Order: sequence, then C-alpha cells, then structure tokens
Amino acid sequence: MIYVIDDDEIMAGCIARACEGVDAVRVFDNAIEAVQALDGAKLPNLIFLDILLTGPDGFTFLNELASYVDTAKVPVVVVSSLDFAGWDLRVYGVVEVLDKATMTPEEIRSYAEEYC
Amino acid sequence: MGGMESEVDGILVAAHELKAPLAVLRQLALGLPGMDVGGEQMRSEMVSVSERAIRQVNDLTRIRRLEDGLFVMEPVAIRAVCDEVTAELTCLFNYNQRDLCIKYSNRARLVTANRDLLKSVVYNFLLNAMHYSGEGARAELLVRDFHDRVKVVVRDYGPALPMDVWREMKQGWVKRPTSIAMRPGSSGLGLYIASRFARAMGAKVGAVRHRDGTSFYVELLTSKQASLWT
Repeated sequence: MIYVIDDDEIMAGCIARACEGVDAVRVFDNAIEAVQALDGAKLPNLIFLDILLTGPDGFTFLNELASYVDTAKVPVVVVSSLDFAGWDLRVYGVVEVLDKATMTPEEIRSYAEEYC
Repeated sequence: MGGMESEVDGILVAAHELKAPLAVLRQLALGLPGMDVGGEQMRSEMVSVSERAIRQVNDLTRIRRLEDGLFVMEPVAIRAVCDEVTAELTCLFNYNQRDLCIKYSNRARLVTANRDLLKSVVYNFLLNAMHYSGEGARAELLVRDFHDRVKVVVRDYGPALPMDVWREMKQGWVKRPTSIAMRPGSSGLGLYIASRFARAMGAKVGAVRHRDGTSFYVELLTSKQASLWT
C-alpha cells in the first residue's frame, strides 16, 4: 500500500497515477485522516507527503510518524514546492525530497518500485 | 526597510501562489500518454510554458536569498553563460518567429559574478526582447569589453520603453514589478528580476531608448583572476 497525502487533488492524482500497477494507492487530502488510517491498519510501504497541507502540516505528520516505533520505519518521500536545500530530514524517515516543479512521473514511480 | 520587507513578502506569496498550479500543469503534461504529432506538440508546449514560468517564479523566490547574501561570487566565463542561455532560447525564438542574433566582440574574459544570477539576468533580458519584438523582428545579444568591465547588451526592436521604467533603469534598478502600459501583457517582472540580481552582484544595469526599440544592458566587473591568463 502507498499513501499519497496532498491537499491538491490533481497533484495527488498525478502521483497516484505514476504509481499505478506497482501497489495499491490511498489518497488523503489532510494529515489527520492519514494518521487515523495508520492506526491499527497494515502499515503502508511508502508515503508520498506534501508539506503545506490544509490543517496540520507535513511536519506535524512526520513528528507523529516518528513518535511510534513501527510507524517511524515507514519510508517517506516528501513532495513539495518548498526549498529544502541544506535540510536533513532523514531523522523523520524521509528518504527523498522531490521538488514538485521538477519531479517526473518516472522518478515518482522509481521510488514506488524501490520500496513496494 | 519595512517597505522592502513587505515588498519581498508580497512577492513570495505571489510566487508560491503561481508555482503550485504551474507544477500541476507540468505533471499533467508529463503524464499524457503517447499521442499523435499534434498531441506531442501540445505536450511539449505545456511543458515548455510551465518550465519557463516556474523558472521565473524560482527567480522571484531567490530574491529572499539575496537579502541574506546566500550566493557565491566567482569568476564566470561570460560567453559560456550567453551560449547556454541562447541555446535554451533559440527554439523559443524560432517558434515565435523571432530572430536571435549574437555578436561577441570581447576577448572571452571572465567576469566576477554569480553564475546562476547572471544566467537569469541574460535570460530575462532576452525573454523580454522576444516578447516586445514584432513578428519576424530580431533581438540582438552583444558582449563587449570596456576597460575593466564587460558589457552585455540586449537590443530589441519593439515599442519604445516608457519613461518611468527608463528612469528607474537609469537609477540602476527597477524597484517593483509594474504594469507597462505601452508593452501589453507585461508586469515588467523580467526586468525587475534582472535588475535585482544585477544589483546583488554589484553590477550596473541600464537601458537606452531608441526610436525603434530599446537596449538593456548589464555591466560586470572583469575578474582579476582573468589577468593571470591574458
């Protein structure tokens, strides 16, 4: 299972389409629903996470994820328009940061294939 | 100082507002399945338009970093930068039925600049020239030596530059993006970005009004390192 968390419906759809055929995809438009979905369910193999979300932001979600032994191990690919150059997000389980302005469907798919 | 802060903040807001839909547009274009020739052209246009807009927005967001001095000044081969930009823009000029003419009369010297910022200055000047030259008209890129400086000039054959913008260019920079009434469809954003970047590099920008167009220029200090080689 892959989680895509992005409040931009079209962008979330693009990411989900790029992962088609690799694994099942669940799309969330906010962090709260995504956290609730994690509770008691089988953990996803990979999460694509936007940072500027409506309501609690991506960092709140990452903190929540890092707070539990099991969820802390879920790999996260951050997809954002923000500039994270010089930031080390590995402590949050972030395996890569993709710039929405330059990423390609092939790049997105390659991460899905690597972790699923 | 407060005015400057609010100006930059306003730009950042606008930039982020613009970037999100452009990124979506680009993803959609990239996600299009293989189509016939017409479809492929549409796809490449969507990608091209969005990439150019994203570049401009990135330039705007980079202005914040100028405030913090987060860029490196280094010896830069000016011809290589101009070659790189013109290679990138030649297709666009052809597509819009404009002619791009390049003349180098310098000795391939190095200038003191930040490579990315300089590239953006030349890119924005040329894009500006393309927009304001009529169909079939030409834009010229000239690089000349002037004692301890190198001058990069972009000449267009469009409508004359309005006096207010010309006065601001004469003072060394455009203070904010403003609507240029005589040049429809422009916010003057390219000139604003170019002048801010040039100012950050300690370079001089200016404009010369002609009866049949405008020349925009940036004057850069020659790198002292160059003297070891020439």
